[in-house]
Amino acid sequence: MKIKILIITIFFSFSSYANEKAYIFTCEPEWKALADEIGGKNIESFSATNDKQDPHHIRAKPSLIAKIGKADLLICTGADLEIGWLPLLLEKGSREIQIGKIGNLMTTDFVETIEKPETIDRSDGDVHPHGNPHIHLDPYNILTIAGEINKRLKIIDPENAKNYQNNHDNFVRKWKKSIKIWENKARKLKNIKIISHHKSFSYLFKWLNINEIATLEPKPGINPTPKYLKKILELVRNNNDIKYIIRAPHDRENASNWLAKKSNIKELALPFTNGKNNANLFILFDNIILKLLRNL
Amino acid sequence: MYNKKIGLCAILAVLASNSAFAVSNSEINSLKKRLLKLEKQIEKRENKLLNNEFTRRDILSNEFNPSIGLILNGKYNTFSKRTSEMPGFGIGHEGERGSENFSLGESELNFSSNIDDKFFGSLTASIVREDGEDKIELEEAFVSTRPEFGLPTGMAIKAGRALWNLGYLNEHHAHTDDFANRPLPYRAFLNRAFNDDGAQISYILPTNFYAEIGGGSFRGDDFPFGNGDGVGSYSAYLRLGGDISQNQNFRIGASILSGEAKNAGRVNEENISFIGETDLYVADLRYNFSPTGNAKNQEITIQGEYFYRDETGKYESTEDATGKVNFDDNSSGWYVQTVYKFLPEFRIGARYSELNSPSTPVGLSGSHLDADSYDPKSYTAMIDWTNSEFSRVRLQYSHDELARNHHDNQFTLQYIMSLGAHTAHKY
Repeated sequence: MKIKILIITIFFSFSSYANEKAYIFTCEPEWKALADEIGGKNIESFSATNDKQDPHHIRAKPSLIAKIGKADLLICTGADLEIGWLPLLLEKGSREIQIGKIGNLMTTDFVETIEKPETIDRSDGDVHPHGNPHIHLDPYNILTIAGEINKRLKIIDPENAKNYQNNHDNFVRKWKKSIKIWENKARKLKNIKIISHHKSFSYLFKWLNINEIATLEPKPGINPTPKYLKKILELVRNNNDIKYIIRAPHDRENASNWLAKKSNIKELALPFTNGKNNANLFILFDNIILKLLRNL
Repeated sequence: MYNKKIGLCAILAVLASNSAFAVSNSEINSLKKRLLKLEKQIEKRENKLLNNEFTRRDILSNEFNPSIGLILNGKYNTFSKRTSEMPGFGIGHEGERGSENFSLGESELNFSSNIDDKFFGSLTASIVREDGEDKIELEEAFVSTRPEFGLPTGMAIKAGRALWNLGYLNEHHAHTDDFANRPLPYRAFLNRAFNDDGAQISYILPTNFYAEIGGGSFRGDDFPFGNGDGVGSYSAYLRLGGDISQNQNFRIGASILSGEAKNAGRVNEENISFIGETDLYVADLRYNFSPTGNAKNQEITIQGEYFYRDETGKYESTEDATGKVNFDDNSSGWYVQTVYKFLPEFRIGARYSELNSPSTPVGLSGSHLDADSYDPKSYTAMIDWTNSEFSRVRLQYSHDELARNHHDNQFTLQYIMSLGAHTAHKY
C-alpha cells in the first residue's frame, strides 16, 4: 500500500498539470524556430528532430510519445515527410491535434509544392506524391506559414492574442527587409550551376535562380551507386562551369567527397535547418547565402 | 466661325465619346466575364475552406478506401538435422523450426482505415502453408478508438483479435523482426505470438517521461491457454522509457499474462496436452543508439526479454501413454540480441536465446515431456541488406542445441518485400 502511494505521488509530481504556456510540438527545427518567433515568451516549444537527423528516418521513440500528449499545437511539414513515425504519435495525441483540427498544422498544405511527380511508382525511389516537402528554404513560404501560426495561436490561446499579433507583425516586417537584403546579395548566384546530393534545397535554388543540374542520388532517397556516380562525373566533365557539389549536413559525405576529388569542384555542406550554429531563421538564411557567396 | 468651331468640337466630342463607349463596352464585357470567373473560383475555394478549415489537402475519392498493404515473405532453409524437438516444453506448431528448402513465410495482407472520427479498423490475414495446404489465418482483425472518441488523451481501447501488448516482440508483425525466426521463449511460451480474441485498454500517463499502463481480457483460446473452451485470460503491463541523451533512447517493460484451460486444454501435434492454470511473467528492454546522431546512416539496437512461466495442472502425452500427470512447476527463458546498422543498407546482428526447463515429474519421465534436466539454447547471427524501406534480403545462420547432444546448423536466406500502403513501424 505504501509503495502504491509512493508510485502515485511520483507520477503526479512529474506530471505537467502546472504547465500554463501553450505547448507547441514541431517535427523539424525550422518550424520550432518560426513558432518561437510568433509565440515568444508565451509558448513552450519542442522539435522532434534535430539538424543532424534526417526527418524522414526517425523512430516514434518513448520520449516523443510522452511529449505529443501535451501538445496544443502540432507543426510539421506533412506531404508524407514524417509518414514513418508521425501517424503513430498522432494516435497518442489529444483530439485537438488530429488531422483537420485547429491544433494540426501541416505546412505543405499552405504553400504550392514543386516537383510533384507525374507518375507515382515506387521504382522511382522515395517519391512524394504531394511534391517536394522541403519548403522552408523559400523565404516567402516562411511568411505564409508565419501567418498561419499566428492565426492558430490566437485561437488556441486568446489571452495572449495581442502578443502573437505583435510578434507576427514585427517578424514579418523584419523578414521582408531581410528578403530584400538576401536577394540583393544573392544576385551573383543567379544562373550558377550546381550539383546536389538530395533534392533538399530545391526551393532555395528556385528562389535564387540557381541551376541544379543533377543530384548524386539516382532517385530520391536511393543512395548513390558507383555506376551512377560515373555518369555524373562524365556530365561534370562536359560542363566546366559547375560551381558546387552541395549536400545537407545529414547526408553522407562519401559521394560528394569522391566527386569533388575527381572533378576539382568545391563541395559545400550547406546548413539545412536550425541548430547550434543557426539559432534562428535569420541566421540560418544569412549563413546559407554567406556560404554560397564566400566560396564562389 | 465661333459657332462652327463649337459645332465641330461637339461633333468631335460625340464621335470621341462614342468610340470611347465602344471600347469600354467590349472591355466591360471581358471584365464581366473575368469577374464571374473569379467569383466562381472564390466560391470554390470558400467551399473547400468551409469543408475543411484547417487543412487544404485535396481529398481524392480513393482516399476513402482502406489502405491496402501486402507483405511478401519467402525463405530458403537448410538444416543439418532431420528433426528438431524441444523435449520438456510441449511447443505448438508455430513454435517449430519451419520447413526445409524453399518455403513461403507468412504472406500478409493488411487493410486498415479510419472508420469515422471515433474509430479505426484494421485486418491482417496471413496466408500460410500447413500440412500441404494453403490456409488463410486471421492474424489480426480489430477496431480501436481514435483520440476523437473522447477518452482522456493517451487512452485507447482496442477490441477484436490483435497482437496484444505483451513484452516487446509480441505486438510486432513478423516482417519487422530483426531475425528470420523468433527467439526460443516466444517459440516455447507463446507459440510465436499471443493474438487471442479479446479487448485491451492502454493509457499513456500524463507525465513528462514516457509511462504507459494497460491490460486486457481475452477468450483464453490461444496458446498457452485452452483450445476452444475459452474460460478466459487476462493481461496487464507497465512500460517506462525515455532519452538518455540526444542519440540514445530506451524502453523497459513488465507484463503478466494469466489464464486457465479447463476441459480441452492446450494440445500440440505430438498430442501433448495441458489442462490447468498458466501464469506468464515477462520483462523486456529495448535500447537504441545512433553513433552519428542520424539513425538513417548508423544505428545500434539492443533488445532482451526474460520469461517466467508458472504452471499448475495436469500434463498428458497420449503418444507416450502417460495418462494425466499432476504438474506444479515453473520454467523460464530469455534472449538478448544486438543489431548494428553499419551502412544505410546493411545490418549485422547476433542473438542468444535459452530456456530453463522444469523438473520432470515421475509420471512423465521418458516421455516427450521429459527434458532430462537439459536447457535448450540457440545461437543466431544474421546480415541483411535493405534496398529501400520496402525491400530487405537476409542471410541467417543459427546453431540450435534444443535437446541433449542435438546440434542443428541452420542456414536461412529470406526476402521480405512490402507492397502498397505500409504503416509506420512501432518503436
